[in-house]
Amino acid sequence: MVLYNAPTNKMLVDEIVDAHVLVIGSGGAGVRAAVEASRYGGVVLVSKTIAGKGGCTTMAEGGYNAVLREEDSVRVHRDDTLKGGAYLNDPALVDALVREAPERMADLVRWGAVFDVTEDRQVAQRPFGGQRFPRTCYAGDRTGHEMIMTLLDRLDATDTHLYQEVSVVDLIADENSAVAGAVALDRDGDVVFFRADATVLATGGGTQAYDISTNSAAGTGDGFAMAYRAGAELIDMEMVQFHPTGAVYPYDARGRLVTEAVRGEGGILLNARRERFMERYDPERMELSTRDVVARAIATEVLEGRGTSRGGVYLDVTHLPAERIEARLPVMLEQFLAFGVDIRREPMEVAPTAHHIMGGVRITPECRTTIPGLFACGEVTGGVHGANRLGGNALADTQVFGKRAGEFAGKAPARSGRIDETVIDEKLKVLDGFSTGDASPAEVRKDLKLTMWNRAGIFRNASDLTAALEEIRRLADRRLRAASTANLLECCTVRNMCTTASLIVRCALLRPENRGAHVRRDAEIVTDPATSPFSHTYVSLARVGIERQEAAA
Amino acid sequence: MKEIAIRVSRYDPGKDAEPRFEEYAVRVNEGARVLHALHAVRDEHDPTLAYRYCCGSGQCGSCAVRVDGKPVLACMEEARDGMTVEPLDLPVLKDLMVDLEPVIAKIARICPAPDAALPAREEIEAIKPLRDCIECLCCVSACPALQVTDFAGPTVLRQEMRLALDPRDSGDRITDAIEKGLFYCTTCKRCTEVCPKEIDVPGKAIEKLRELANRRGLTLPRHQEVARLVQETGRSVERTQPTFLEQVPEVIEPDGPVRGEVGFFVGCMFNGRVPQTALDAMEVMKRNGIRVIVPHDQVCCGSPLIRTGQTSNVSDLKRKNIEAFASRGIKTVMTICAGCGATLKNDYDTPFEVKDVTEILTEYGIEPPSKLDITATYHDPCHLLRGQGIGEQPRTLLREAVREFVEMPSQCCGAGGGVRSGVPEEAKALGAKRDAAVKATGADVVVTVCPFCEFHIADCTDVPVKNLTTILLEGYRKKDAEREGSV
Repeated sequence: MVLYNAPTNKMLVDEIVDAHVLVIGSGGAGVRAAVEASRYGGVVLVSKTIAGKGGCTTMAEGGYNAVLREEDSVRVHRDDTLKGGAYLNDPALVDALVREAPERMADLVRWGAVFDVTEDRQVAQRPFGGQRFPRTCYAGDRTGHEMIMTLLDRLDATDTHLYQEVSVVDLIADENSAVAGAVALDRDGDVVFFRADATVLATGGGTQAYDISTNSAAGTGDGFAMAYRAGAELIDMEMVQFHPTGAVYPYDARGRLVTEAVRGEGGILLNARRERFMERYDPERMELSTRDVVARAIATEVLEGRGTSRGGVYLDVTHLPAERIEARLPVMLEQFLAFGVDIRREPMEVAPTAHHIMGGVRITPECRTTIPGLFACGEVTGGVHGANRLGGNALADTQVFGKRAGEFAGKAPARSGRIDETVIDEKLKVLDGFSTGDASPAEVRKDLKLTMWNRAGIFRNASDLTAALEEIRRLADRRLRAASTANLLECCTVRNMCTTASLIVRCALLRPENRGAHVRRDAEIVTDPATSPFSHTYVSLARVGIERQEAAA
Repeated sequence: MKEIAIRVSRYDPGKDAEPRFEEYAVRVNEGARVLHALHAVRDEHDPTLAYRYCCGSGQCGSCAVRVDGKPVLACMEEARDGMTVEPLDLPVLKDLMVDLEPVIAKIARICPAPDAALPAREEIEAIKPLRDCIECLCCVSACPALQVTDFAGPTVLRQEMRLALDPRDSGDRITDAIEKGLFYCTTCKRCTEVCPKEIDVPGKAIEKLRELANRRGLTLPRHQEVARLVQETGRSVERTQPTFLEQVPEVIEPDGPVRGEVGFFVGCMFNGRVPQTALDAMEVMKRNGIRVIVPHDQVCCGSPLIRTGQTSNVSDLKRKNIEAFASRGIKTVMTICAGCGATLKNDYDTPFEVKDVTEILTEYGIEPPSKLDITATYHDPCHLLRGQGIGEQPRTLLREAVREFVEMPSQCCGAGGGVRSGVPEEAKALGAKRDAAVKATGADVVVTVCPFCEFHIADCTDVPVKNLTTILLEGYRKKDAEREGSV
């Protein structure tokens, strides 16, 4: 791995960094893609943050789903994933996920990952919601952190050129309309161009578009917006997972993830009357029902006046032995202690929080998008998780499709198309425009986040969604102002957030049914997920709509 | 919402000659963290404020800054009115943003053997306490050794041990660790104190790596001499005069009625090198009605061996010491040496309670001495402050004993962890920093409660260095003289 330090290796605007494969994003999917692609040629990995510190893989707590035991089977994992996804998943992608998750787990173990193991020397597994077998592998409650540390060790053994704190702000097309690279900004706001035979988009999710979100500050949906602008098609963007348990206090840290592992380890949910309310919503699976069900249950309790004064419910592990909490949930224990709550003695207060965007760039099992030259993997893609993602499937997704994207991008032929200078000029002109703007990006961001939370959240209806779309368009039309060149990135980010938000709302308006995470209070059509006539919503520069199917799979 | 005032360090190396502080009044919600106060500065006052952040939940290690001098994660530390926010003590790129990459690049990567298999459960459990590191570099910012040597940093050595414990790794971690400064660590535990994950780098990495180095014969020659001395004499310090134990009976009765009874673990320094200080302490105990039992068959506590990784004979020392006190039915053992105290408390499993002399004296309460007409400052021994969590008791006693007490920023003197004997130039450089800190207080005397600190600081400054019990005794003598004078 070769490090390029932004301040010391300034790129001239007319300088172009050349690569066989350009990987955008340094989370689990991006690093896995770079590791794989490096077997085929020169790889450049561009990371918005210091690698390992950005993205949501680092923050992922609970685990990684993989079939590792004889009593379990990939067929059951497949069925759990499809059922959990309300049968909106792309079955071919699910097949790849469940078949290859164990192999990718073996890669991680071989590369040095420190997963918890059992007495008989197998990777330990815990139960997670919506799954009939405890197949969630873990490293305490810092599973994603363990993975990213291991992946960076592996990346270091390759020739990948790593650009840290360089943020891609747009994709560049060549004369044949194929993606042939990207334009980026370094820490100081200086422009860097990358040219590549194949580009892998691994930019992660974007629930920072919501006021209450688990995502890191990097989860601003840049990849959805960039792919859309480049002409790629996205599917099911209305499918936003609200994680049932986000912290409600302190206010400024609201939305912070409280891992599903808390419930996996035996945590129970109680309303302000101390009733174990999941009995009324899913008596069979209780707290370990799927995330969409639990999130709606909590939201309903709060909306109907049975929540706490801070607008949450209680998540309680005080009945568990203290040693077990210390060993299995150390990050939760530490975080809550910092905020004055000892979870060994008192319950946590939680409420739903925007967590994961299930929709995204449409891909084939080879991670090809609908435009040539562009591959995608991880949360920026759609189809793997359908209408609701199972906890533990996202980390597996990053590895399975990260590897696939790296492999097929690596095998892509050298690209002969040239980048027209007018394309570059156009990108620069957009950036220049921010120096003469008049709107504060901080204000636009704040308004956008509130709009999305209030009008495109857990419970939706047409009039709210329409109003949201109007507001987003109004915000997107504001001329953002960059206070310095280093602030150009902030303007690009807010612009991307607006685009991602509009894609979510447009798709939400297209789907008339309730399906998985998408709930329309005004839904006029009642469908059964398994036999619904509706399939993916889709949106691109060229077309927008919802697919229909004759009969369910 | 509430309004708080904060001071933030601003610096653009391209434009400014040096960093400056700017004050901001910001509105934040109840329970807001430092990070939220910084967001408020950016959004309401100056969008160009440069600082890093990402996960907002203490997991990515992007946002470490110094708040009122202490390295913390901005996303976890509660914002306080009047706080000062500065960058970590690393090269500043702009404002609060520092260059993390050169240090992160020193953190070793695993080199898995081709046939690497899943480690066993006990191997995983051994690695886990060293695996929580989020590379925030708080420890690197705070480590005193880094100020005077090219020590690679606590977390870099942490990683060497994490890899040494992993059967999959094929690297030579001991040689690497030595190159990265294994013997520079004074085991002051400042890194553990500032670590958001509370990783015990000195105990779980440094000392363990030194043990592994010892098995390969790579212990420093000066440290090997100490081990030989302990082996031959039961003591880690060569006697330079009649020892403390040679000068006292097994039981030292108090002057007045007996208020309490303790066993006294004297330690090698007090026994052989500076017995007068221990004799002073005995006078203070007598004066305050505390009977002291001094088993003469006690030996070195083993601290110099544990800190330097030479642990093969430590269990023998432990057994002898525990037997010496337990066989006499002693319930409470008193130490005056911070190093011995920390070792008995943290490395031993004792059937009796161990307390520092300052704990004993503050618990029983002392006869007030006459205040000495001096200004005194106090040096926190690392093995007392962080090794035993004792900082307030010595200050309470000192305030009773001198006209004026002035604080001095706490930092390791450089004597610990085998550094004074093994890397004398580092010990000297850290000692010089203590000298400067002492001078800055304007104090007439530096008071401490550790013979190693006392001996070393005395070597590095011309300001007198005294043990707290000596100060107390001087106060009693002054009191007696005043009484005699008035009679």
